[in-house]
Amino acid sequence: MYLSNEEERMLKGDYGPGVQKAMEILVAIGDIYDAKRMIPVSSAHMAGNYGPLRDEGVEWLEEFAETGALTKVFTTVNPQSFDFELYKEMDVPETFRKIQLRIDGALRKLGVKLFYTCQQFLVGNLPRKGEHIAWAASESEIFANSVLGAMTNREGDHSALAAAVTGRTPEYGMHLPENRIGNILVDVTELDLKELTQTDYAAMGYYVGKIVGDKIPVFVGLPKDVSLVNLQALAYPLPVSGAVPMFHLVGITPEAPTLEEAFGGDKPEDKIKVTASDIKEVYEESRRTGERKVDLVIFGCPHCTLQEIEEIATMLMGRKVHNGVKLWVCTSKATKAIAERMGYGDAIRRAGGMLVADTCPSGGPYAYLKEKGIHVVVTNSLKAAYYAYGLFGMGTVFASNKDCIEAAVKGRWEK
Amino acid sequence: MIQKIVLKGKTVSEGKAEGEAIVTKMPISITGGLNPYNGKIVEKGHELEGQSVAGKILVFPHGKGSTTGPWQFYVAYKRGNAPKAIINVKAEAVVAVSAIITGTPMVHMLDKNPLEVIETGDYVAVDAYNGIVEVTKKGYR
Repeated sequence: MYLSNEEERMLKGDYGPGVQKAMEILVAIGDIYDAKRMIPVSSAHMAGNYGPLRDEGVEWLEEFAETGALTKVFTTVNPQSFDFELYKEMDVPETFRKIQLRIDGALRKLGVKLFYTCQQFLVGNLPRKGEHIAWAASESEIFANSVLGAMTNREGDHSALAAAVTGRTPEYGMHLPENRIGNILVDVTELDLKELTQTDYAAMGYYVGKIVGDKIPVFVGLPKDVSLVNLQALAYPLPVSGAVPMFHLVGITPEAPTLEEAFGGDKPEDKIKVTASDIKEVYEESRRTGERKVDLVIFGCPHCTLQEIEEIATMLMGRKVHNGVKLWVCTSKATKAIAERMGYGDAIRRAGGMLVADTCPSGGPYAYLKEKGIHVVVTNSLKAAYYAYGLFGMGTVFASNKDCIEAAVKGRWEK
Repeated sequence: MIQKIVLKGKTVSEGKAEGEAIVTKMPISITGGLNPYNGKIVEKGHELEGQSVAGKILVFPHGKGSTTGPWQFYVAYKRGNAPKAIINVKAEAVVAVSAIITGTPMVHMLDKNPLEVIETGDYVAVDAYNGIVEVTKKGYR
């Protein structure tokens, strides 16, 4: 592939061994995907959670940071597995906390902005339509491509970090307009759209992802005023049950002003319809436990917006979380600060729950919770339910916000 | 007579290594598919389930699965449980990044299908500086 003078110098090591390794990673990826050249990126996002890194990965990151490589573009980081300030209340083992602090130190040295949220676009990492970016984590990718109209491949942490310290990414995949055209028409007009809850949107996303695989679905019939919370709920499960890189909502998302434009002037390869029974089925198949007793009720995958925290705090008014049950509401540190200012944090604590930052229902708190006897998790997130079950062997129930609160109060799943 | 077959392909990650081949026609997921603490393939129903790839020349079609793969591969590498070299039919990013960060020699897009030419137990020398793979068939060495 073609490299500019500066890119050649990065590859030769003129900017130090970290930048050199980064450019080696990007060139290798560019070569295998037949990229013609590197393009500048304006934003990066990666994960920095001990779970996948393990001790060896932490050492790699520390060594990389030692090379003096620095992020050249605004770079943020995904949630990790506990709240840095509430670690005592969360029963986080000290060894676990210490190693996460080493990751935190290495990321700080690299210039990564330590937001620990999957909603980086709500805290300032907000690329616009047509911007090339390098975001790791499948939910980040799909939201950026679909809702923001920014262009990113599904990066791993190393390739996202490589893009961050070089300011470049190879031009292939989702950076090319021809790969962003819709394939499958998804008709949702049969649904009673006014009645759809946030978790119904999530179930719809999960169902569609399962059917379309790695294709790009084009939804018709969704209301123009669909809320951010519902949009995210729809988006995040698509790459979980499938490998969907982006979607279009006709008349709503930036690259689909019309049906024709969504399909690039071509006909859809296929059409599917989503019915109320399809959505209901997702709730049923996502219950992966026979247990009735509930240990943890957890919100915040994706991280709760201020509106969701307000909704949960309101639902908890005058109620009490059952003795022995944990209720966690997860969000970014930034949103938590305002939620505290608004009194939502107090309301959640009065009911016996916790408002926590820096971690999330998919970020792996189960690694230490399991040892504390937490086995059955009720959540309003399909992604969280999928990973809590698949990666950590927890019993999971996916439920509406209302049913999650009921389970927390009763200490049992009664449906 | 020593039967040697020479294949030519493209470099993904530079380096040189030789050793015994372990071959599968199934894609490999590193995260969840390879136990980095013993080098064994652990994916249920995988052709190589229960077999170790540590110190071998690993030949497979391409990677699959989570983008966290390179972190797991790095653990395997540091613990001496990674393959010595990788040969793919057509590489993808997860395995490619794994090879680059560990300096594991890796080639792909060979002039003949490596899954047809190389069998488990063959002795294979990978020169990933020049994209050359030399195969000595089992029993001829």
